[in-house]
Amino acid sequence: MTEPVPLLQVQNLSKHFAGVAALERVGFDLRAGEVHALCGENGAGKSTLIKVLSGVWPHGTYAGTVTLAGREVRFRSTAEAARAGIAAIHQELALVPDMTVAENIYLGAEPRTWGGTINWNKVYADTEGLLREYGIAVDSGARVGELGVGQQQLVEIVKALSKRSRILLLDEPTAALTDSDVETLLGIVQQLRSRGITCVYISHKLGEVFRVADRITVLRDGRSIVTVASAGSTRQDIIRHMVGREITDFFPRVRSAPGPVLMELSGVSVADPRSGRMVLRDVSCNIRAGEVLGIGGLMGAGRTELLLHLFGAFGRRVAGNVTLTGVPYQPHTPADAMARGVALVSEDRKRYGLVLDQSVGFNLSLASLRQVARAGLTGLDSAVAALSGGNQQKVVLGKTLLCAPGVVLLDEPTRGIDVGAKVEVYELVNRLTGAGKAVVLVSSEMPELLGMSDRIMMLSAGQVGGCFTHAEATPERLLTAAMAFHSGFPKDTPHEEKH
Amino acid sequence: MLLVLLPGMIDLSVGSGVGMLGGLAAVLIVKPDFIWPGMPGWPPALALLATLLLAMAIWALMGALISRWRIPAFIITLGGLLIFKGLHWAIIHNATIPVAVGGQENIYSLLTTYYLPEWASYVLGGLVALGISVSRVRARRLRRAHGLPVDEAQTAFIGTFIGLQALLLLIVVLNLYKGVPLALVILGVVAWATQVITQHTSFGRYLYAIGGNEDAAVLSGINVNAVVICAYVALGAIVAVAGFMQTAYGGYSTTTVGNLMELDAIAACVIGGTSLKGGRGTVLGVLFGALIMATLLNGMTLLAVTPELKTIARGTVLVLAVWMDVWLSRRYGTGGGSR
Repeated sequence: MTEPVPLLQVQNLSKHFAGVAALERVGFDLRAGEVHALCGENGAGKSTLIKVLSGVWPHGTYAGTVTLAGREVRFRSTAEAARAGIAAIHQELALVPDMTVAENIYLGAEPRTWGGTINWNKVYADTEGLLREYGIAVDSGARVGELGVGQQQLVEIVKALSKRSRILLLDEPTAALTDSDVETLLGIVQQLRSRGITCVYISHKLGEVFRVADRITVLRDGRSIVTVASAGSTRQDIIRHMVGREITDFFPRVRSAPGPVLMELSGVSVADPRSGRMVLRDVSCNIRAGEVLGIGGLMGAGRTELLLHLFGAFGRRVAGNVTLTGVPYQPHTPADAMARGVALVSEDRKRYGLVLDQSVGFNLSLASLRQVARAGLTGLDSAVAALSGGNQQKVVLGKTLLCAPGVVLLDEPTRGIDVGAKVEVYELVNRLTGAGKAVVLVSSEMPELLGMSDRIMMLSAGQVGGCFTHAEATPERLLTAAMAFHSGFPKDTPHEEKH
Repeated sequence: MLLVLLPGMIDLSVGSGVGMLGGLAAVLIVKPDFIWPGMPGWPPALALLATLLLAMAIWALMGALISRWRIPAFIITLGGLLIFKGLHWAIIHNATIPVAVGGQENIYSLLTTYYLPEWASYVLGGLVALGISVSRVRARRLRRAHGLPVDEAQTAFIGTFIGLQALLLLIVVLNLYKGVPLALVILGVVAWATQVITQHTSFGRYLYAIGGNEDAAVLSGINVNAVVICAYVALGAIVAVAGFMQTAYGGYSTTTVGNLMELDAIAACVIGGTSLKGGRGTVLGVLFGALIMATLLNGMTLLAVTPELKTIARGTVLVLAVWMDVWLSRRYGTGGGSR
């Protein structure tokens, strides 16, 4: 069998952020007309790869070559990539909610009349034509903000197709979709393939991947591990490639006998007050003094939402209850939570700003953190910012040593900080548990979760996918639990459970 | 103001700008000595044109500071408010400068005192009516040519007919008094131009896109900085025209011309449904909002409400309007671009 000539080839692609490698000598090729899935854990480099290919990271910010139909391309902007026929649909939808479907599709490429004004008739007529062509049931005059997420996703795809793109890069298109929307989307992807449009498809949902993809490339820690034909592979193969790394002894966790239960959740269900969507369903667990409870899960599993809810900063509890040292606990503001001895170290500065702005009562430790954050914001994404991010975490962690009873919620405490600062954060965690505090650690980094937790709870689509003690936890088990409730993964596949 | 509120910006300097630009034009015509000792008085038309161009340059600079150097619009234009106010007082030497020499008429003073002769008003009205009718018929034909649905012919005809009747009635009523004021014609032209720009040009749509979701605008290949600067330049031109009219209306440039007008302008936009977060608002809404504001102020003057109360009422209306804006956008969950 002869190898078909690749339509797009990536060789030795490396990209660094503040000294941290996001992509390391990645090789990847795309055959004309195929659906090619990219798989990997959070932070494996999938989205970065997509951003290089679509011109979001312009030529010069990465090393290596990208070859399109035999010629090297050096995109300086998304517009250049679009002209070459490559369009990306990113995780964050790039649509204007107050504009209509047709206005969004032709935004930036409006057809003109001879007078220089926009030819609205052509905009709407062409949109109707495109929607009919791909069999998409969306009203061209509807406001995008009034559509469901699934339909918005389809609008994005039609927008890309309106530019006569040859290669479509889909970054987790089904992450926020309901089952029926997922079906529509997969149908569209299959239809695109039959029309000769090449798709790169990123998804955590292996069920979907095996349904639509011709070939699968696995990325791990910024490296391309393997490319396989989906027909000859199993889910276990892919999961093994995704997690197959050695756990080094980099985590200085000092384990101690756990103390009494500090916080207990039973059957907690939480709804997003804005959309009414359930983000957490029937979550039960307990948190003991002197213990680190790790919480893992895929993007959108509800990890951050759980922490914010326990901190009084998010969501409406529709069922279940929480007790703190045996007393019912339902904080309405972060100030309530702080007063009861619960502290949160949030994931990133941006979201921090959000919580800061929205909470009513404010207290000293967070106020001082804000100053640190502001000082660190001078240079965007530079190493200085990353380091002072580490300092931020240390400031807050240090202050929470003082509060009682002391449940410390850590949301990705080591994201974007260097190795030295990471170890300092881990040592602070040890000091916290040594002083009888309880730590809840949300992390996307599997080694960190395995290395630092005494027990691990995996969330999957807002539900508990599995709970493991330190001894029981293996990367394969955790990943399987993380995927337990994600749609696109048929429920009748019992072989997932045996190892 | 609509032009900069759409992309999520703001301009607090328009009131001072109105005073300064109106004052500058008046000084150039009547008291050129204030600017440059011994300079002869400028011809009124040239003075107006030069001031207009200067305004566009100043607003282009503010737009550039805001978009390219990422200084918040609030701060830049707050600075503008104070600077323009100071310059205004310096230019007119804290005096009262008439817009025309010795009670004569010139193009400046006529801006608000000229009324179209009866025949001209009917000719103009007829042209506008003809334009509306032709464009409506053409729009229907084009829509049909593109295979898009059109209204019943009868409904369309009745809609157009009623609109034209209202226009005719307005002209007749105005002619019973003094005639159609030139100011109304200027308002009509500015409103029509803004309407065309915001609804029918790419530039106008980009204003909405930037306010609605700046990331989407960037990913669609829009040069956000250039669009924002253009919006400020257009606003500068409108401020200059407003400055001439406001000054001519009083007949003199004094230190108080344009006072607090920026707040009335913002209130008019917000009452008319413009979102302060950007991305939402229409010309018709703003006209409606301005009508409400003007009615309120004029009504209070006629009722001899004290200036203290009037100021408080203006503030209350502004707060209520913004509160409604926030309430409505939360209610309908429009996630606009935040800035």
